[in-house]
Amino acid sequence: MAENTIRKIKWFWAWQDEQEEAWLRSMSQKGWHLSSVGLPCIYRFRAGEPRDYVYRLDYQTFPKKDKQEYQQLFRDAGWEYIGEMSAWQYFRKEVKEEEPLEIFTDVESKIAKYKKILAFLWLFWIILIVVPARGITIDNPYPWWGAIQAIQVFALLIWLFFTYAIIRLMLRIRQLKRL
Amino acid sequence: MLRDDTNKYLPLTESTYYIMLTLIEPLHGYAVMQKIEEISKGTVKVGPGTLYGAFTSLEEEGLIVKVKEENRRKSYVLTPKGKKALMNQIKRLEIMTQNGLSVIDMLWPKP
Repeated sequence: MAENTIRKIKWFWAWQDEQEEAWLRSMSQKGWHLSSVGLPCIYRFRAGEPRDYVYRLDYQTFPKKDKQEYQQLFRDAGWEYIGEMSAWQYFRKEVKEEEPLEIFTDVESKIAKYKKILAFLWLFWIILIVVPARGITIDNPYPWWGAIQAIQVFALLIWLFFTYAIIRLMLRIRQLKRL
Repeated sequence: MLRDDTNKYLPLTESTYYIMLTLIEPLHGYAVMQKIEEISKGTVKVGPGTLYGAFTSLEEEGLIVKVKEENRRKSYVLTPKGKKALMNQIKRLEIMTQNGLSVIDMLWPKP
Protein backbone atom coordinates (compact mmCIF):
# COMPACT_ATOMS: atom_id res chain seq x y z
CA MET A 1 0.00 0.00 0.00
CA ALA A 2 1.66 3.15 -1.19
CA GLU A 3 1.49 5.95 1.28
CA ASN A 4 0.23 9.12 -0.23
CA THR A 5 1.63 12.32 1.21
CA ILE A 6 1.79 15.91 0.07
CA ARG A 7 3.86 18.79 1.26
CA LYS A 8 2.69 22.37 1.36
CA ILE A 9 4.59 25.51 2.22
CA LYS A 10 2.24 28.09 3.65
CA TRP A 11 2.87 31.32 5.48
CA PHE A 12 0.44 32.70 8.01
CA TRP A 13 0.33 35.76 10.24
CA ALA A 14 -0.07 35.32 13.98
CA TRP A 15 -3.39 37.23 14.04
CA GLN A 16 -4.79 34.87 11.41
CA ASP A 17 -4.26 31.67 13.41
CA GLU A 18 -7.99 30.96 13.48
CA GLN A 19 -8.16 31.03 9.68
CA GLU A 20 -5.19 28.66 9.66
CA GLU A 21 -7.05 26.27 11.97
CA ALA A 22 -10.10 26.44 9.70
CA TRP A 23 -7.96 25.71 6.65
CA LEU A 24 -6.40 22.63 8.29
CA ARG A 25 -9.90 21.42 9.18
CA SER A 26 -11.04 21.81 5.57
CA MET A 27 -7.99 19.83 4.40
CA SER A 28 -8.98 16.95 6.74
CA GLN A 29 -12.56 17.09 5.48
CA LYS A 30 -11.11 16.51 2.02
CA GLY A 31 -9.08 13.55 3.29
CA TRP A 32 -5.74 15.28 3.79
CA HIS A 33 -4.67 14.95 7.40
CA LEU A 34 -1.82 16.97 8.82
CA SER A 35 0.96 14.58 9.82
CA SER A 36 3.83 16.90 10.67
CA VAL A 37 4.90 20.52 10.71
CA GLY A 38 8.35 22.00 10.31
CA LEU A 39 10.36 25.06 9.45
CA PRO A 40 10.07 27.04 7.25
CA CYS A 41 6.25 26.83 7.26
CA ILE A 42 6.20 23.27 5.90
CA TYR A 43 3.09 21.16 6.36
CA ARG A 44 2.96 17.47 5.53
CA PHE A 45 -0.39 15.86 4.86
CA ARG A 46 -1.23 12.18 4.62
CA ALA A 47 -4.12 10.92 2.51
CA GLY A 48 -6.90 9.06 4.32
CA GLU A 49 -10.62 8.84 4.77
CA PRO A 50 -12.15 12.31 5.04
CA ARG A 51 -12.73 13.11 8.72
CA ASP A 52 -13.92 16.10 10.65
CA TYR A 53 -10.92 17.08 12.73
CA VAL A 54 -10.65 20.46 14.40
CA TYR A 55 -7.16 21.88 14.66
CA ARG A 56 -6.01 24.25 17.38
CA LEU A 57 -2.82 26.29 17.65
CA ASP A 58 -1.16 27.36 20.85
CA TYR A 59 2.01 29.43 21.20
CA GLN A 60 4.47 28.17 23.82
CA THR A 61 8.17 28.09 24.45
CA PHE A 62 9.52 25.96 27.25
CA PRO A 63 12.23 23.55 28.38
CA LYS A 64 11.86 19.94 27.24
CA LYS A 65 10.73 18.68 30.64
CA ASP A 66 7.82 21.10 30.81
CA LYS A 67 6.88 20.17 27.28
CA GLN A 68 6.05 16.61 28.29
CA GLU A 69 3.77 17.81 31.06
CA TYR A 70 2.14 20.26 28.66
CA GLN A 71 1.50 17.60 26.02
CA GLN A 72 0.17 15.20 28.65
CA LEU A 73 -2.40 17.76 29.79
CA PHE A 74 -3.69 18.17 26.25
CA ARG A 75 -3.72 14.40 25.69
CA ASP A 76 -5.75 13.93 28.87
CA ALA A 77 -8.24 16.46 27.52
CA GLY A 78 -8.57 14.45 24.30
CA TRP A 79 -6.19 16.38 22.04
CA GLU A 80 -3.71 14.75 19.71
CA TYR A 81 -0.37 16.51 19.48
CA ILE A 82 0.95 16.91 15.95
CA GLY A 83 4.06 19.00 16.28
CA GLU A 84 5.74 22.32 16.75
CA MET A 85 6.80 25.03 14.36
CA SER A 86 8.70 28.00 15.81
CA ALA A 87 6.79 27.86 19.12
CA TRP A 88 3.41 27.19 17.48
CA GLN A 89 1.99 24.00 18.95
CA TYR A 90 -0.42 22.05 16.75
CA PHE A 91 -3.23 19.94 18.18
CA ARG A 92 -6.27 18.22 16.74
CA LYS A 93 -9.38 16.43 17.89
CA GLU A 94 -12.17 14.68 16.06
CA VAL A 95 -15.49 16.53 16.19
CA LYS A 96 -17.99 14.64 18.31
CA GLU A 97 -21.05 15.69 20.23
CA GLU A 98 -20.42 16.74 23.84
CA GLU A 99 -16.70 17.15 23.15
CA PRO A 100 -15.26 20.60 23.94
CA LEU A 101 -13.58 21.89 20.81
CA GLU A 102 -11.65 24.81 22.25
CA ILE A 103 -8.29 24.84 24.00
CA PHE A 104 -8.84 28.44 25.08
CA THR A 105 -12.11 28.87 26.91
CA ASP A 106 -12.00 32.57 27.72
CA VAL A 107 -11.01 35.82 26.03
CA GLU A 108 -8.33 36.59 28.63
CA SER A 109 -6.31 33.49 27.84
CA LYS A 110 -6.62 34.10 24.09
CA ILE A 111 -5.27 37.60 24.63
CA ALA A 112 -2.46 36.20 26.80
CA LYS A 113 -1.40 33.98 23.89
CA TYR A 114 -1.18 36.94 21.49
CA LYS A 115 0.66 39.00 24.10
CA LYS A 116 3.38 36.35 24.30
CA ILE A 117 3.90 36.62 20.54
CA LEU A 118 3.82 40.40 20.81
CA ALA A 119 6.62 40.31 23.40
CA PHE A 120 8.83 38.41 20.93
CA LEU A 121 8.03 40.85 18.14
CA TRP A 122 8.92 43.82 20.33
CA LEU A 123 12.23 42.19 21.26
CA PHE A 124 13.24 41.77 17.59
CA TRP A 125 11.90 45.22 16.79
CA ILE A 126 14.24 46.78 19.38
CA ILE A 127 17.23 44.66 18.31
CA LEU A 128 16.64 45.77 14.71
CA ILE A 129 16.90 49.40 15.75
CA VAL A 130 19.86 49.11 18.08
CA VAL A 131 22.16 46.80 16.08
CA PRO A 132 22.06 48.45 12.60
CA ALA A 133 22.22 51.93 14.16
CA ARG A 134 25.67 51.11 15.53
CA GLY A 135 26.93 50.74 11.94
CA ILE A 136 26.20 54.41 11.23
CA THR A 137 29.06 55.53 13.46
CA ILE A 138 31.59 53.79 11.20
CA ASP A 139 33.42 56.25 8.91
CA ASN A 140 32.94 56.26 5.14
CA PRO A 141 36.43 55.04 4.02
CA TYR A 142 35.85 51.81 5.94
CA PRO A 143 36.53 48.97 3.45
CA TRP A 144 33.13 47.25 3.83
CA TRP A 145 31.10 50.44 3.78
CA GLY A 146 28.90 49.26 0.88
CA ALA A 147 28.19 45.94 2.55
CA ILE A 148 27.28 47.68 5.80
CA GLN A 149 24.86 49.94 3.95
CA ALA A 150 23.25 46.97 2.26
CA ILE A 151 22.78 45.26 5.61
CA GLN A 152 21.25 48.44 7.00
CA VAL A 153 18.73 48.63 4.18
CA PHE A 154 17.91 44.98 4.68
CA ALA A 155 17.49 45.52 8.43
CA LEU A 156 15.20 48.46 7.73
CA LEU A 157 12.96 46.29 5.56
CA ILE A 158 12.73 43.61 8.24
CA TRP A 159 12.07 46.30 10.82
CA LEU A 160 9.13 47.59 8.74
CA PHE A 161 7.84 44.02 8.51
CA PHE A 162 7.96 43.70 12.31
CA THR A 163 6.32 47.09 12.77
CA TYR A 164 3.45 45.96 10.55
CA ALA A 165 3.11 42.67 12.46
CA ILE A 166 3.08 44.47 15.83
CA ILE A 167 0.34 46.87 14.72
CA ARG A 168 -1.84 44.10 13.31
CA LEU A 169 -1.43 41.93 16.40
CA MET A 170 -2.29 44.85 18.70
CA LEU A 171 -5.43 45.46 16.65
CA ARG A 172 -6.37 41.79 17.01
CA ILE A 173 -5.96 42.06 20.80
CA ARG A 174 -8.12 45.19 20.85
CA GLN A 175 -10.77 43.42 18.83
CA LEU A 176 -10.82 40.55 21.36
CA LYS A 177 -11.06 43.00 24.28
CA ARG A 178 -14.21 44.49 22.82
CA LEU A 179 -15.99 41.12 22.90
CA MET B 1 1.92 41.31 60.34
CA LEU B 2 2.24 40.52 56.67
CA ARG B 3 0.92 43.25 54.39
CA ASP B 4 -1.95 42.03 52.28
CA ASP B 5 -0.84 42.69 48.72
CA THR B 6 -3.07 40.12 47.05
CA ASN B 7 -5.69 42.69 46.00
CA LYS B 8 -3.70 43.43 42.85
CA TYR B 9 -4.74 40.01 41.51
CA LEU B 10 -8.44 40.82 41.84
CA PRO B 11 -10.90 40.40 40.34
CA LEU B 12 -9.90 36.94 39.18
CA THR B 13 -11.36 35.73 35.91
CA GLU B 14 -14.05 33.08 36.26
CA SER B 15 -11.63 30.38 35.05
CA THR B 16 -8.85 31.42 37.43
CA TYR B 17 -11.31 31.60 40.32
CA TYR B 18 -12.48 28.04 39.72
CA ILE B 19 -8.95 26.77 39.16
CA MET B 20 -7.90 28.21 42.52
CA LEU B 21 -11.00 26.82 44.25
CA THR B 22 -10.16 23.30 43.13
CA LEU B 23 -6.54 23.66 44.26
CA ILE B 24 -7.56 23.73 47.91
CA GLU B 25 -6.26 20.15 47.66
CA PRO B 26 -3.39 18.97 45.42
CA LEU B 27 -4.66 18.14 41.92
CA HIS B 28 -3.14 17.67 38.48
CA GLY B 29 -4.33 19.50 35.38
CA TYR B 30 -6.92 17.13 34.01
CA ALA B 31 -8.42 16.53 37.48
CA VAL B 32 -8.81 20.32 37.80
CA MET B 33 -10.68 20.46 34.49
CA GLN B 34 -13.04 17.66 35.51
CA LYS B 35 -13.68 19.04 38.97
CA ILE B 36 -14.48 22.51 37.63
CA GLU B 37 -17.05 21.08 35.24
CA GLU B 38 -18.58 19.14 38.09
CA ILE B 39 -18.76 21.84 40.78
CA SER B 40 -19.84 24.58 38.34
CA LYS B 41 -22.66 22.28 37.22
CA GLY B 42 -21.37 22.46 33.67
CA THR B 43 -21.47 26.27 33.50
CA VAL B 44 -17.70 26.58 33.32
CA LYS B 45 -15.41 24.50 31.15
CA VAL B 46 -11.70 25.19 31.15
CA GLY B 47 -9.71 24.13 28.09
CA PRO B 48 -6.13 22.87 28.36
CA GLY B 49 -4.66 26.02 26.76
CA THR B 50 -6.38 28.27 29.27
CA LEU B 51 -5.48 25.96 32.15
CA TYR B 52 -1.80 25.65 31.24
CA GLY B 53 -1.52 29.43 30.94
CA ALA B 54 -3.21 29.89 34.32
CA PHE B 55 -0.92 27.33 35.99
CA THR B 56 2.13 29.10 34.59
CA SER B 57 1.15 32.57 35.76
CA LEU B 58 -0.26 31.46 39.13
CA GLU B 59 2.99 29.60 39.82
CA GLU B 60 5.08 32.61 38.74
CA GLU B 61 3.10 34.83 41.12
CA GLY B 62 3.55 32.33 43.96
CA LEU B 63 -0.18 31.72 44.37
CA ILE B 64 0.14 28.00 43.70
CA VAL B 65 3.01 25.58 44.09
CA LYS B 66 3.96 22.26 42.54
CA VAL B 67 3.70 19.43 45.05
CA LYS B 68 4.39 16.27 43.08
CA GLU B 69 4.94 14.89 39.63
CA GLU B 70 4.01 11.45 38.37
CA ASN B 71 3.50 10.09 34.88
CA ARG B 72 4.23 13.53 33.41
CA ARG B 73 1.40 15.03 35.44
CA LYS B 74 2.24 17.78 37.89
CA SER B 75 0.02 18.44 40.87
CA TYR B 76 -0.39 21.91 42.32
CA VAL B 77 -1.87 23.33 45.50
CA LEU B 78 -2.61 26.83 46.82
CA THR B 79 0.12 28.62 48.76
CA PRO B 80 -0.76 30.79 51.81
CA LYS B 81 -0.60 33.81 49.49
CA GLY B 82 -2.91 32.03 47.06
CA LYS B 83 -5.36 31.25 49.85
CA LYS B 84 -5.36 34.90 50.87
CA ALA B 85 -6.09 36.05 47.32
CA LEU B 86 -8.88 33.51 46.99
CA MET B 87 -10.36 34.57 50.34
CA ASN B 88 -10.46 38.20 49.21
CA GLN B 89 -12.09 37.19 45.95
CA ILE B 90 -14.77 35.20 47.78
CA LYS B 91 -15.55 38.25 49.96
CA ARG B 92 -15.90 40.40 46.84
CA LEU B 93 -18.21 37.86 45.26
CA GLU B 94 -20.30 37.71 48.42
CA ILE B 95 -20.84 41.48 48.30
CA MET B 96 -21.69 41.23 44.61
CA THR B 97 -24.24 38.49 45.26
CA GLN B 98 -25.84 40.36 48.18
CA ASN B 99 -26.20 43.46 46.03
CA GLY B 100 -27.72 41.37 43.27
CA LEU B 101 -30.18 39.68 45.58
CA SER B 102 -31.27 43.03 47.03
CA VAL B 103 -32.58 44.21 43.65
CA ILE B 104 -33.80 40.89 42.31
CA ASP B 105 -37.41 41.54 43.38
CA MET B 106 -37.43 44.87 41.59
CA LEU B 107 -36.29 43.41 38.28
CA TRP B 108 -39.70 41.94 37.49
CA PRO B 109 -42.38 44.03 39.22
CA LYS B 110 -45.31 41.96 40.47
CA PRO B 111 -48.42 42.29 38.31
